Amino acid sequence: MASDLFIVIVGCGRLGSHLANQLSRAGHGAVVIDLAEKAFANLSAEYSGFSVEGDATELAVLQQAKVGKADIVIATTRDDNVNLMVAQVARAEFHVPRVLARVFEPRRKPIYRRLGIETVCPTSVAAELFLESIAAPLTLENRP
Amino acid sequence: MEAPERGKPVLIVDDEKNIRLTLSQALEALALDIDTAVNGEEALAKLKEKPARLVLLDLKMPGMDGMEVLRRIRKSRSPARVIIITAHGTIESAVEAMKLGAVDFIQKPFAPKEIRAMVTKVLDREALAAENAGSYEEHIELAKKSIGQQEFGAAAKRVRQAIAADATKPEAFNLLGVLMEMDGNKLEAQKDYRAALALDPTYKPAQENLGRTTGLTSGGQMSMGGTVNKPCRKE
Repeated sequence: MASDLFIVIVGCGRLGSHLANQLSRAGHGAVVIDLAEKAFANLSAEYSGFSVEGDATELAVLQQAKVGKADIVIATTRDDNVNLMVAQVARAEFHVPRVLARVFEPRRKPIYRRLGIETVCPTSVAAELFLESIAAPLTLENRP
Repeated sequence: MEAPERGKPVLIVDDEKNIRLTLSQALEALALDIDTAVNGEEALAKLKEKPARLVLLDLKMPGMDGMEVLRRIRKSRSPARVIIITAHGTIESAVEAMKLGAVDFIQKPFAPKEIRAMVTKVLDREALAAENAGSYEEHIELAKKSIGQQEFGAAAKRVRQAIAADATKPEAFNLLGVLMEMDGNKLEAQKDYRAALALDPTYKPAQENLGRTTGLTSGGQMSMGGTVNKPCRKE
């Protein structure tokens, strides 16, 4: 990954803030958007990006965060519908080259794919990890 | 273009650590000397000690605000260019700052590329201004000399510098037309001849050139006005 991308992250919860902290530390320019100002408390002291308080489903808020200049947009809110909408607007309206979204409902994945949006599904990821763990025999090392 | 006055730093003035960090990181790639100040007072003290090429100045700071810093920079006749950093939705104050002599402004949040583009643009302008230091007549003279030596690229550059120095005289536009015509770009050439005539309808060389290229008058040579050791042919 090039070392100074401009990345807009929607949602500053546990996932969003974690991503923002990591990406900022790696030297990228970052902006996080969240409805609640107190969410920005999740950002670490070394976070060198920006924060925008507002509703990311509003065009004006996305403009304020300069989504139009973004190399990557990541939608991480807890609401699949919000993520889908923001991701779609980022693709269609702002022509962002790479758009990723968190999607809880695995069945929705094909819809996103058709729209040119990459997805990460925590449900599938967690399920796979559980299955892997179950399949592995319990040994001394992996005993809880 | 060699970097003019290397060693003079770019001074970043912002009370927020993350802005100073973002800006320094973004400018790292341009290989510029970078210095930072956390408030207006520190910025002025640093500028007094060592002049800067460029100051990136936040308007909203506790204590002395950016506008006051800008006023004092101007008052001290410092040659430093100032780019204003503003928050979203405060265009009015940015405009106010530009009236006070800031060269440009950038709104938060900013992308690294955006910052680099703006800083490069401002520094290039500065370099160009330094290169342009010369009178209209000198540039025209050197342009004709370059044409005489068949160095058309250098000639075109000189002509543009002449236009930058004084855009009200027809001769430079006529010469630009001649260069365009030599390059085979007749339409562009005619535009330039017309531009020369718009400035001075009685300017003979442009009249002749326009007449010749539009076929209204037949024959004739390209007319550059004044004396030139005639080459007028592209090898």
